[in-house]
Amino acid sequence: MTIQSDQAKAEASNWQTQVLEYCLRIGNFFCFAGWAWGHLYWEPSYASILWSEASFEWFQQFGYSWEEFTGTGANDGLIQECIQWIGWICVANAVLSFTARRNSWIQLCLLTSGSLFMLAVAVAKYIRSGFELPMLIEHGGQILSPILLVMALSIGVRNRITTLTAIIAVMMTFGGHGLYAVGLWPTPATFVGMTRVVIGWDYDASKLFLLVAGVLDFIVCFGVLIPFLRRSSALYAMIWGIVTAAARPVAGMSWELNYWGADQFLHESAYRAPHFFIPLFLYLYWTYTKVQHSFGSLTLETKDMTLPSTTK
Amino acid sequence: MRNRIFASLIILLIANTVVGQNRRRVDLSIPEVDRKDVICFALYTVHDQTLKLTAQLYPLKNDEVRLARLEIKKEGNWVEVAQTEVIEQGWTAPFRVAKWDDANTWQYRVRHGEQAVYEGTIRRNPTDKDEIVVAGFTGNSIMPAHGGDISRQDILDNIQRINADILFFAGDQVYDHKRHYAAWLKFGRDFGDIIKDRPTICLPDDHDVGQPNLWGESGKISTLRGAADGGYAQPGLYVQEVERAQTSHLPDPADPHKIGQDISVYFTNLNWGNIDFAILEDRKFKTGPAGRVPKQGPRPDHIRNPEYDPVSVDVEGAILLGKRQLAFLKSWTQDWQNAKMKVALSQTIFCGGAHIHGSASGRLHADMDSNGWPQSGRNRAIDALRKGFAFHLAGDQHLATIFHHGVNEHRDAIWSFCVPSIANLYLRWWAPLEAGANREDNMPEYTGDHLDGFGNKVTNYAAANPEKKPAGNILNTRSAGFGIVRLNTKTREITMECWPRNVDITSDDAQQYPGWPRTISQLDNYHPRSWGKMKEFQFDYAHPVVQLVDNETDEVLYTIRAQNSFFTPHAPLNREFTIKVGKDSPDRVITTSAKAKK
Repeated sequence: MTIQSDQAKAEASNWQTQVLEYCLRIGNFFCFAGWAWGHLYWEPSYASILWSEASFEWFQQFGYSWEEFTGTGANDGLIQECIQWIGWICVANAVLSFTARRNSWIQLCLLTSGSLFMLAVAVAKYIRSGFELPMLIEHGGQILSPILLVMALSIGVRNRITTLTAIIAVMMTFGGHGLYAVGLWPTPATFVGMTRVVIGWDYDASKLFLLVAGVLDFIVCFGVLIPFLRRSSALYAMIWGIVTAAARPVAGMSWELNYWGADQFLHESAYRAPHFFIPLFLYLYWTYTKVQHSFGSLTLETKDMTLPSTTK
Repeated sequence: MRNRIFASLIILLIANTVVGQNRRRVDLSIPEVDRKDVICFALYTVHDQTLKLTAQLYPLKNDEVRLARLEIKKEGNWVEVAQTEVIEQGWTAPFRVAKWDDANTWQYRVRHGEQAVYEGTIRRNPTDKDEIVVAGFTGNSIMPAHGGDISRQDILDNIQRINADILFFAGDQVYDHKRHYAAWLKFGRDFGDIIKDRPTICLPDDHDVGQPNLWGESGKISTLRGAADGGYAQPGLYVQEVERAQTSHLPDPADPHKIGQDISVYFTNLNWGNIDFAILEDRKFKTGPAGRVPKQGPRPDHIRNPEYDPVSVDVEGAILLGKRQLAFLKSWTQDWQNAKMKVALSQTIFCGGAHIHGSASGRLHADMDSNGWPQSGRNRAIDALRKGFAFHLAGDQHLATIFHHGVNEHRDAIWSFCVPSIANLYLRWWAPLEAGANREDNMPEYTGDHLDGFGNKVTNYAAANPEKKPAGNILNTRSAGFGIVRLNTKTREITMECWPRNVDITSDDAQQYPGWPRTISQLDNYHPRSWGKMKEFQFDYAHPVVQLVDNETDEVLYTIRAQNSFFTPHAPLNREFTIKVGKDSPDRVITTSAKAKK
């Protein structure tokens, strides 16, 4: 009986670990695949920062001339080339999401650099927004996604530091959204616009809806820290993460557009994948832990029942 | 080790950018003002004996009345002529006074409560002046990095020196995408001293309504970053507030039906000093390119591929001016009541007027934010305008240019003058790869006949290209400045001047940007080289309105008020025309078989 239970526990633990790991792998894959699409097919959302004179002055220190920086028209300049290279780095990171293993240190290092890249993107967007703090915070999920995967692979998906990092990622994403949605910082017009287009409500109703959604975002932030609320908070976060990511294509795509506008909007959903895969990871982790706890207590009971009989 | 160096470089770049950008931030806080100064500034126009004046207020306190009064000075006494409710969303007080006596100049004052007073002058309609002077502006960046923090006093001084009759702000008066009200108050503090004493036309453009580019698409909601999917990124209420602040003092709209999100339209005309200005809002109905045209570059509105087929982006369903605007233009070009010359005012010019975009970005083959796209819509707009010999004054491009536009052949349509930015946020250059054809003697290679990135026929006569690597004088190396247009109703000549910042434009040694000044005739706005001349017609009264109608198509070729009591029509060869004339409208047929000869 004991051997069977241990084996079942080990098997369950094994596939659960796989599931948890794949949550992070898939989330990270879509995140970088989306950004790769944004870089290689379109222009990334932070590009206007690169075109600034401050950037040129900085590169000038390394000997780049105006023509080398801007391109001549006949060829690309440093900025266009950098964007292309960054796009390919995103492709590599997307691939690494599935190929990285515990002992492949080079791959893990490259994945870690993905977090640095995402941090740079977040800072660029933070500057572009006029230094709005929520813009920086809400990228927490995407910034931490690669490092979370590295942690899961190197120190384990069930390690306390891994889960704590996942909790921080969720709190940052939803905290940032919440700050915008309740209007502590000016609510981005696209939030209201998407709500109006998708649900069809007027401006006032949409603002109220966003206010409620923002309050729920804050509840999620606290909820993931409270044991009896954390599973439901993570579940809600996952669903709301899917909804907000899907809102982009739902609001923007149309049968009348080339490719239905999919090329414009789908990648915006894709790179938001950590917004729902990390909450899913936490939800499953806490579900499995709960099951294991009850499974563990059942095992103990069995042991208690078994031991005497064997003694006999 | 390499990773560490790479990481250090990234951190340094981020820190440098953050510090650099922080250094360049602008304080847009709304100042706490004394209650006597609660009226920030006032804008007005007078048209068809109707005064429309909008006073812009600082925020009122809860216990203050929401009523503003307008008074004028009659025989030494202040007399109240109108009252209006202050609209809290944007704190505007729009007055409308019918049966206005525009034959006289009036001192006015706007009052609020017992203390607040703002004074100015309502000018008389300068119908007796031979020359009407229009000062044109665009791109009012307030960012220190672009010289936006440098005082506008030079502009104010120059406008006072030349005593401009009318001011035209073509767009981007405000660059802040979330705080239009605060930025608009700053605009008022900067320019109020010249605005309060003369009619002023403001057209809100993309940045004014809080987005980097604007394809209004009849009020659709835009959800795509960059707004190339068409519509407005900011809520309709925000756009309404912007338009109320900037345009509620314009003459009543020609066709006031609203568009999506309850956003108003303001396209109309203003007759001042016998110049009939069409005030167009060329973005309001324009469709967005995203998903509508094949992708040709890293942005849905940018064409980077010089090998692309321009016809491929001139797609069915893409609109530039809406049907209602075209209908307005059709009637406007035929209406010459109290008008000797016509000028179209809009946000931007009807062509792709630049090749190199951005302070540091490379060559862009075509930009669908310009009015060169969609080409069919562009041709319809120009065709409508040339039927009234309208000269086109616009802004937006951040690059001053003079173009003579073509529809069927080069130089067969209107001239446009795009004025330079007050402070230039985003640099552009007119730099065609090939030298222009049919250039004037000793003119730069970038002038002459060209096709723009959309294949539109354009002839360039001047471009105030910024320095390739701007340095030193932060305004003028970036080609900042303003435009002056002198419209002579006696000689029917139009003179374009393009001035840099911080010069006294009345001094003998003041230099304009290369290529300016340039003077054209009113008739140059529709005088194809392939046309011929008819015989001279004599009339028994001066300045008749003459209209040519094509006998085959029954379409009006053009309508114009003649400069004298005689007129020699020009027209296409081998076609027969009916000529109509009249004192104020072409209501009498004088011939049904007029033909032009080479």
